[in-house]
Amino acid sequence: MSSGSTLTEILINGISRGSVYALVALGYTMVYGVLGMINFAHGEVFMIGMFACVYAMGLFSVAWGDHIALNLGLGILVAMIFSAGYGYANERIAYRRLRKAHVLAPLTSAIGISTFLQYFIFLTVSKEKVNFPRFYSDFLTSHHVHFIGVDITYLQLAIFGLTLVIMTGLYVLINHTRLGIALRATAQDQLMASLVGIPVDKIIAFTFILGSALAAIAGVMVAMYTNVLVFDAGYRVGLKAFTAAILGGIGNVPGAVLGAMILGLTEALTTLAFGSEWDDVTTFAMLMLVLLMRPRGILGERVADKV
Amino acid sequence: MLSRWRPYLLGIAGLAALTFPFLWLQLAPNFTNDTVGVTWAPMHGLQFFGDLSPVFVIAFLIWLGVQLNRRFGWDQALAANATWQQAGRAWTHYWAWGTVPLVLSCTFFFSASSLSLFTTVGIYMLLALGLNITVGMTGLLVLGYAGFYGFGAYFFALAQQNLPYFPWWMAAPLAFFFGGGVGYLLGLPCLRLRGDYLAIVTLGFAEAFRELMRNLSNDDTDSASHSAFLQGLAHIFDTGGDKGIILNESAKFGHVAGLTGGQLSYLITALVLFLAVFLVQRLYHSPVGRAWMAIRENEVAAAAVGVPVVQMKLLAFSLSAAVAAVAGVLYGAQNGYVSPDICAFRESIMVLAMVILGGLGNTYGALLGAALLDLVPEYLKLLPTYISGSPTLSSIVPMFVRDSLQNLSDYRLLLFGAVMVLMMLYRPQGLLGSRRRKTEMLHK
Repeated sequence: MSSGSTLTEILINGISRGSVYALVALGYTMVYGVLGMINFAHGEVFMIGMFACVYAMGLFSVAWGDHIALNLGLGILVAMIFSAGYGYANERIAYRRLRKAHVLAPLTSAIGISTFLQYFIFLTVSKEKVNFPRFYSDFLTSHHVHFIGVDITYLQLAIFGLTLVIMTGLYVLINHTRLGIALRATAQDQLMASLVGIPVDKIIAFTFILGSALAAIAGVMVAMYTNVLVFDAGYRVGLKAFTAAILGGIGNVPGAVLGAMILGLTEALTTLAFGSEWDDVTTFAMLMLVLLMRPRGILGERVADKV
Repeated sequence: MLSRWRPYLLGIAGLAALTFPFLWLQLAPNFTNDTVGVTWAPMHGLQFFGDLSPVFVIAFLIWLGVQLNRRFGWDQALAANATWQQAGRAWTHYWAWGTVPLVLSCTFFFSASSLSLFTTVGIYMLLALGLNITVGMTGLLVLGYAGFYGFGAYFFALAQQNLPYFPWWMAAPLAFFFGGGVGYLLGLPCLRLRGDYLAIVTLGFAEAFRELMRNLSNDDTDSASHSAFLQGLAHIFDTGGDKGIILNESAKFGHVAGLTGGQLSYLITALVLFLAVFLVQRLYHSPVGRAWMAIRENEVAAAAVGVPVVQMKLLAFSLSAAVAAVAGVLYGAQNGYVSPDICAFRESIMVLAMVILGGLGNTYGALLGAALLDLVPEYLKLLPTYISGSPTLSSIVPMFVRDSLQNLSDYRLLLFGAVMVLMMLYRPQGLLGSRRRKTEMLHK
């Protein structure tokens, strides 16, 4: 990123950051939309996706040698399967039995799962940062497209494209398919949904699985973008993605993407103005401002409280 | 028979598959062409389970106890016995006062290292007590409690840096008011909303505060990137970045009336703790406490019968923030050193785990939880040295048990996570919780 005007660079940087947050925020917003609860372990599922991808690529490279596209593609697939598995386990252990409990109970158990997973990776994989193998990310990070005076890497394009595709896919899924109708019915009233024959348990499990698989994609993208894997990556990105989801209106799919983009751009501007170490402070300031002025988020509609 | 166990077997198989690569394989980065490989590392996984073996033994014993109790009904027999009941009632009536001289006299009977450990436990007890006001009594989740703890500590450290004379006894009451003020301002936007916003906002606050303290440093190498405003701010409030602040001697607990600094810090912490327990208990049994309880049980119903919901929530939250700030001052005055690590996320989680373990909404439960989660890992760490010191024990206890005890303190947070999940599933009322609280937790 040496050539080109600074403002466009910031714009591009902000949008690719925002796209990553969007992929994670979608998982938060979907679970919130269906269950009305924050999935606190979502960030850790994202982190598991990062590590699962690297392990899988290592295994494949031992098994049949270093083929970039094949190993990376299969690695992402394995990461999605693993993250989906962890997401499902999280739902079964921390949420299902506590669905009718006081709000504090599932929140606490999810924080327990999240702490457990973080320190599980901390103890079994690495206490330090692990580098993403550059061999696989080099092609995407070193090739550029020249666009209005700036170089955009293939990776940034891929992240942005994936986010758009996934957002559209989710929007269609929720609003125009039978599964989407079942999802919305479950979100509205679980008892009534089950009375008309919707398998509520399976629908909720599906929400967790889908959200987790998306988080795995985001995890691999972030790992390639920042080149670093670390056990508490999920906590940091998770906090930001959650802020993005609230910003856009939690429970709302386009809202999550919009919120994430705004957050990404704000962060890029903060980096320019004060330095990258002030990211968290601006994120937090944004969150407070939104809660003060528009508590339901930018695209969130006012919903009456259920008693 | 098999059909009964099938879901469990499937679950275990699934978890084994999901954890397989992390436990039994190890990453082997290949630096020549920057690719990656894996190696089969069975010792790695065995080490993990081996280190956790004392935990499995303890868990098995607890499970056995629960099963035996279910079979023989000891708890019911105890509860039905009138003598026991009377003794219990009398005890709970007087024991709180009885402990005061007992705890205070410890000052003169313990070694300096024990006293410093007890002071740390006391500070955590104070934190658990404060967090219990919001999480346990009012039913609001706070995830960044360490942020207020850090606020108190940094308030003290930065003030004593700029003022010629600013000892702990001036800082503590001021921190109480300023901490409460910060809590009030933070709670104002999010406590008017329903839901879990407070959890996220406090989490964000703790993280933002930590970053602020890490970055407001005068000798920052890349201070060129800072704006003039931030540089000016760092000039007045120099937090020393990651290195933290070393406090002046005059600000810390020092020699007073024949007491050493360690004894004084223990004594003061104990007194503050007693005062806090007394005040919180009085508040809990007052109309304010009833209002908190009503909000915890059903916010809409509470509002309908005229409880000023927002004000009561704000009061609870500010009060708990104020208590944390006082705990922060005590920490600073005891250790003479403040660093950004004290507002890390894991501190918040630790305090939350203490409150949950002891029993949400139960003041004595919070104290018990703090004592257990602080002392048990500490003594587990000391146990191997104690065993090696005694010839009979070291001949009985095999080496690998000593090793796993030594390593167990690394597994502390992993175990806290597991404890939080298991407590919510099997004993949501905590160790010292009532049956009523259990019903409340398990049904909306």
